[in-house]
Amino acid sequence: MKADKDTCIACKRCFPYCPMGRIQSFHRHNTIPGRVYIEIDQDKCTDCGVCFRADVCPVNALYQPEEPWPREVRAILSNPLIEFKGSQVPGRGTEEMKTNDVKGSFLPGEAGVGVELGRPGVGAYFKDVEIVAMSLAPLGYEFAGENPVTHFMADVKTGKLRDDVLNEKATSAIIEGKCKLEVLPQVLEALKEAAEKVDTVFSVEIITKVPPVGEIPIVPILEKYGYWYSINSKNNMGLGEPAFKFYQDN
Amino acid sequence: MTHSLHRRGERESLENDFVVLGCPATGVNKKGSAPKTRKFLSICYENGPVNLGDMKTGNVFNTTMNDILNHVTDGTIVQCTFDNRERVVALLKQLKDDKPGISVIVSGLTDVVQQCMDEAGLGRIHSLEYSMGTWGKTEKLPDYEVLELTTMCGHAMISANLVDKLVRDIKRGRKTVEEAVLQMTRCCTCGNFNLTRAAQLLRKLLPLYVLHSVH
Repeated sequence: MKADKDTCIACKRCFPYCPMGRIQSFHRHNTIPGRVYIEIDQDKCTDCGVCFRADVCPVNALYQPEEPWPREVRAILSNPLIEFKGSQVPGRGTEEMKTNDVKGSFLPGEAGVGVELGRPGVGAYFKDVEIVAMSLAPLGYEFAGENPVTHFMADVKTGKLRDDVLNEKATSAIIEGKCKLEVLPQVLEALKEAAEKVDTVFSVEIITKVPPVGEIPIVPILEKYGYWYSINSKNNMGLGEPAFKFYQDN
Repeated sequence: MTHSLHRRGERESLENDFVVLGCPATGVNKKGSAPKTRKFLSICYENGPVNLGDMKTGNVFNTTMNDILNHVTDGTIVQCTFDNRERVVALLKQLKDDKPGISVIVSGLTDVVQQCMDEAGLGRIHSLEYSMGTWGKTEKLPDYEVLELTTMCGHAMISANLVDKLVRDIKRGRKTVEEAVLQMTRCCTCGNFNLTRAAQLLRKLLPLYVLHSVH
């Protein structure tokens, strides 16, 4: 996002809308006497477009230029109105467990693990995304093929990202994938170590198929290793059609 | 895409906070899903959500219900937010009978969602996703009371600075709580923002702020 220096009057009305904080600076116009305008720090801006959509600029100075690769990844991941063609889903992730009832993406014996770097509201550079991805790859963690971050990988086997995206930033970027239930403790341990290395925050989410009877398979693992998990969750109702056959007798 | 997960809050605050999503599946039932999604959205609308929208078109506070319905195409994911448990039960009963055919997801307190499903005759949760919280440099996060509000937009389109500004505006008499809530709602394009809960949280937040001046 940019502010047109010939139009902007530095009124600051757009400042509070920026999820990345105070990333604007004041400058004196060199040809219009007395005019002060703002510049948006292009390294810190994630092109999410929220300041533009807030429609608070009294002189319509804000504009989003068409950005070339690799900067275009910022808006792909940060602006929820933009659809990533690889996932065919607007926003930064995939359908994950939302369609598990018809797709069978997460089978019994598997755990989905998502790591959303930069969330909530901090933002993340892809060099930090790479640190986390490379810590998961050796553990048999299978990256979701249609996820945008997976598309930005130079090597899906190691989790190494393309060099040209490493200095790009997103409001949040999700690593999505799954692993066998038995390696879940190692995956979570690797994330704990990665948390010490990154210069941002990340939100962790964990997915499971709930069996018709009995305990929720990931709960005893989380409790055994002392991991906190939320009292609120996202729940698939199993109403999608045609239903995926998870068990031989259904 | 987990924009209805990771909502922060205490149990009593989250008890009446539900996000219901309708999602067609790429490669399975996405082709020809537009009428099913419209049907799902219309059923949700009849049951009185506090917010509703489609990520790409906007929520009902940025545009109209007709506009949202008209923009539904094959693959559109729609979401509705409810502030009332009974309405969710009624909605689930109707969805069970009228089956729109696309996947339906309900975010909320796990045990309460399961109770709602039981009362609607839906059986057990099919698949679930837990939040395991925020890891890493958590010192970069704003205060917990601010996060309770901002995390109701999973795309982080409501900034902590906006919450600060709106609190100041309310304290200075420039805005009512309802006007401030509406301003936050407009930033969260999908329709996940719970206006009722936001007003409660904002009222709780007001005494924590002290203004240095009224200007």
